[in-house]
Amino acid sequence: MESLAIQLENVTFTYADGVEALSNINFSARPGEFIVVLGANGAGKSTLCFLLSGIVPHIYGGKRTGTLLAMGKDPWDHALFETAQYSGVLLQDPEVQLFNPSVFAELAFGPANLKVEREEIIRRIESSLSLLHLEGMEKRNPRDLSGGQKQRVALGAALTMHPRLLVLDEPTSQLDPIGRSEVVEAIHRLKSTGEITIVMTTHETDDILDLADRVLVLDKGKVILWGTPAEVFSQPAVLEAAGVKIPDALNIFLQIDRLGGNSAPLTNEQMSQMDVSYVARHARNLIRTGRLEVIGTRETPPEAVKEPGRPILEAVDLTYLYPGYPPVRALEDINLSIRAGEIVGIVGQNGAGKSTLVKSFVGLLRPTRGEVRFDGKNIRGIPVGQMARSVGLVLQNPDYQLFTASSKEEILFGLKNLGIEGKQAEERVHSALALVGLENELETFPFRMSFGDRRKLAVAATIALDPQVLILDEPTTAQDHRGRYQLADIGRRIRDESGRTILMITHDMDLIAHYAERLIVMWNGKIILDAPTEEAFAQDEILARTYLRPPAAAQVAKSLGELGVPENIVTPMALFRSLRKKSE
Amino acid sequence: MNVPFRYVDRDTIVHRLHPLVKILYILLTLFIILTPLKEVKYVFVPLVWLVMSMILWALARIEVSRFQTLFKLLMGTFLFLILIQGFTYRWGDTVILQLFDFKYGETNVGTLKLEGVIFGAMLCLRILTATISLPLLVMTTSSSDLMTAFRQLRMPKVATFMIVSALSFTTLIFEMWEYITSAQKLRAFDIDRMNPIVKLRRAYVPIVTPLILLLFRKANDFQIALETRGFGTPGNPTIMEERVFTARDWFMVALILAVFLGAQVLRVYIGRTL
Repeated sequence: MESLAIQLENVTFTYADGVEALSNINFSARPGEFIVVLGANGAGKSTLCFLLSGIVPHIYGGKRTGTLLAMGKDPWDHALFETAQYSGVLLQDPEVQLFNPSVFAELAFGPANLKVEREEIIRRIESSLSLLHLEGMEKRNPRDLSGGQKQRVALGAALTMHPRLLVLDEPTSQLDPIGRSEVVEAIHRLKSTGEITIVMTTHETDDILDLADRVLVLDKGKVILWGTPAEVFSQPAVLEAAGVKIPDALNIFLQIDRLGGNSAPLTNEQMSQMDVSYVARHARNLIRTGRLEVIGTRETPPEAVKEPGRPILEAVDLTYLYPGYPPVRALEDINLSIRAGEIVGIVGQNGAGKSTLVKSFVGLLRPTRGEVRFDGKNIRGIPVGQMARSVGLVLQNPDYQLFTASSKEEILFGLKNLGIEGKQAEERVHSALALVGLENELETFPFRMSFGDRRKLAVAATIALDPQVLILDEPTTAQDHRGRYQLADIGRRIRDESGRTILMITHDMDLIAHYAERLIVMWNGKIILDAPTEEAFAQDEILARTYLRPPAAAQVAKSLGELGVPENIVTPMALFRSLRKKSE
Repeated sequence: MNVPFRYVDRDTIVHRLHPLVKILYILLTLFIILTPLKEVKYVFVPLVWLVMSMILWALARIEVSRFQTLFKLLMGTFLFLILIQGFTYRWGDTVILQLFDFKYGETNVGTLKLEGVIFGAMLCLRILTATISLPLLVMTTSSSDLMTAFRQLRMPKVATFMIVSALSFTTLIFEMWEYITSAQKLRAFDIDRMNPIVKLRRAYVPIVTPLILLLFRKANDFQIALETRGFGTPGNPTIMEERVFTARDWFMVALILAVFLGAQVLRVYIGRTL
């Protein structure tokens, strides 16, 4: 038994409220193996992490059957502090895992609790700082670090306890692209030590192709696939049905391969090399050897409004400083005009000024200098409540606003604040809920809904106020592959049906490629790029400065440009349309 | 966001003081604010302490803007306290304003009395002294220093961590309050423009309800973070940092005690002579 790091036999787990989260799970892992667990939201990934790390049953109760051994012990039979001696855990949100005043104290907290000797703790801290590239940050307050640094500190805090098993529950899901790449690189270095068995859940399949030794796919609490990455990702239809994203590069590879008439199964060697340049090389090879030919169909631009509308939101020399010693310059001389009926994507790393900009648009922040105009009028002096009639901002976390006993009351709350009651209010409630697909949840208690549905309810509550401009802050956050475009779809429908203006703050370049007609890139409080999406994606150097990359399809198309593939392609569909099997 | 009660990392003379010196300061503050001020002539006692606290804040270089939200909340409370005391104070007979006649026991609650207003103002002064003095400990002392100090005072580990966790939750409450208020403003719920009575009647449910629900969730996450990192292991954890008393600490102890004792002596003197 001890030769296996993890062993689950017929494990079924039901939460105390009767929800069966896992059903008849069987798998095992050898010491040092890297296991990736995939699945849609609600598939049971986090429950599996909780079971392995002992959080279930010690924090969340429930009933389990079957055999579960982690490092030869059943976490069910031991207190959490005992399990902590061999098993570390890293959760999604770095904020809740850091509570000490310095990085040093954070890293020392775990081993000090386990009464490891002081000198040994210091040695472990030094080695973790070096492995995670956090040298020199010992005295920094974790709260002042970037998202990626915070998550690496949280990872370091687990590592200083010298775990033999590390459980990572969606460690990159709440990070921006820089943070995500920092954490993924740290996990790569950790894996290369070969000393720790790692179980990681994620939606970001692009990150794990060269990390995973084996992949487990869950759907509704059951294992539907289990094998090497090549074995698992050779079944795109099964993955798609389970709501698991096929990695972008692999998706393009498989489609191009099929187009070229190749039906050979994927190999592990191919999987370990799978990235945009590998796919481009493969496509070039298929074209040069005559198995594919380029048709050269240009990207059909997203259906834009017929004529550019009037300027509806404008920023004129907009500067904003957050108070402090010294004040923090969040926006600097922003000049921008958003036209009615546009769908605009705003991208940039955390701290680039995106949120400050949209908060200025709704009046939550008053400019330090310059002005914001709505429909040509300066909004200074207009209360936020009144601005809500004109510009609706849907924040990332719906739980900051939901408080009533039903979806209907939640929407009525905003309407009542505007003085809209009676039949008109009822009509608005019904049409807003119908628009987001929650028409059957009129009387449902919002906190009983899934996170995705709570976000949709928050959108409905904003749409019901009938704003001219709708701003979606990170519409893909915490959504799985299946649900990630739902909010953007709603936004586009509103624009198409009623000519409203949609702004989307995001890190998701695919989302931009699919929905936005115009892309604004921010960096250090300034706009460094503002152009139609296709043109913006061609500005590799500017995007690279902000650690952003065009979508995989755009990168592949660009590298096939010399062979006649149009370089304005930004979506996989357009790329496939530009190629076809060469007739004999 | 500038949050009150959150530790502000600076290198100042106040930050460098041994936490036990600041704990002494807090204990003396508690003594001063809990001692009743029966007459207005004793007003200088909390005033002296208030001035000393303000000097310490200046030395700690912590922005007053951090207390903006707190002061806004306090202003409403002070107004409420002064009016309530003014109308319900039993022993006053100097009428400032007569609204109506209604006797409740021996008090005419329809009249605003000067003595009641003064009593309310003295109460507010004590609250203000507490509000300005007490955060000095937590805002200038890191939680690891606090834990070390509590350990030196032989406080049980669990109690120590409960205090430190409660402090970290206080800052979290302020942060979440701001987020939730912004989120509700975006739904045309303009709390800032409501008068105090409307605020009391309908403003807080949309803010307090999500706050409580979120706090429950955060508390759960916090418990996971603690226990998965060995918190709860029997016995005392390894001590990583020791703080020693320096000459500067002894000097501050002497200064604080001198101000405190001076104020007490003056209180007795004034009590006998005025």
